Amino acid sequence: MKFFSQSYSYDDPWPIVTLAFFLRYPNPYASHVLSCDVVSRSVTPSGSLMTTRLILKRGAMPRWFPKGIVSRAESWVVEETEVDPVGRTVRCITRNLDHVKVMQVEETVVFRSAPEGKTLQHTEARVRSGFGWGLTRRIENHGLNKFKANLQRSREGVSLVVQLLRQSRLHPM
Amino acid sequence: MADSLSPQCTSLKQEYDSCFNVWFEEYLEPSLATNATEAQRTAHYQRKAEEFQTRCGKVYAEYQNCIQNAVKQKGIEPLLQQAREEHPLREPLPPSAPPSKDSK
Repeated sequence: MKFFSQSYSYDDPWPIVTLAFFLRYPNPYASHVLSCDVVSRSVTPSGSLMTTRLILKRGAMPRWFPKGIVSRAESWVVEETEVDPVGRTVRCITRNLDHVKVMQVEETVVFRSAPEGKTLQHTEARVRSGFGWGLTRRIENHGLNKFKANLQRSREGVSLVVQLLRQSRLHPM
Repeated sequence: MADSLSPQCTSLKQEYDSCFNVWFEEYLEPSLATNATEAQRTAHYQRKAEEFQTRCGKVYAEYQNCIQNAVKQKGIEPLLQQAREEHPLREPLPPSAPPSKDSK
């Protein structure tokens, strides 16, 4: 199992970053996202909004990966999110549903409201492969490196949506 | 707005998303006093939930109906069901900052 964590600070307040996080698909930095659906949504008695989304992502297998094992380089991903408007926190856990024996990636993202109108993002990833054939480590390393490379892009995607939201608020319809 | 996994559900999904987004933006804005009591808070968010139901409940139900069928047709229902049973958000988040973990 490989573990990775990173923190990041947005110069924008929590409500707009949270809204952008929910609205982040589609954006030019996420062209691998083919579809995104809400499959469950409710408000808890304490006021938190619980959402489950089912997302289809396109991926590519590395060149060294044995042919014919994964028939299609697409993956179903389930994203569970809790928005706590009182504690001003978003917690989101994302996992792939298929190809889990080859590789399971679980990502946890937390957004918290921070002083001076900023928002802190903390991301953790766990990459696990049960593939064997002497490839487990290589697959885990590959998955982790891909995750790190994509993290920057996914933040750029959220930032872009934040910008678009700000512009639309300056020019109300 | 992203497409639905089933082209037949996409227009319902987009109608639902538009409705949700307006509600969500209001839901995120701090409209309660910071010293509001627990009871006031509960009442406030119950009102929010009812508002959502009034405004978006109908299109949400239609969209869910469409998407549940599509999920069955695509054969991903068992996977989704299992993932939902293992719901990772059941454990509450610690109230303060997340505990620092060794990032080995």
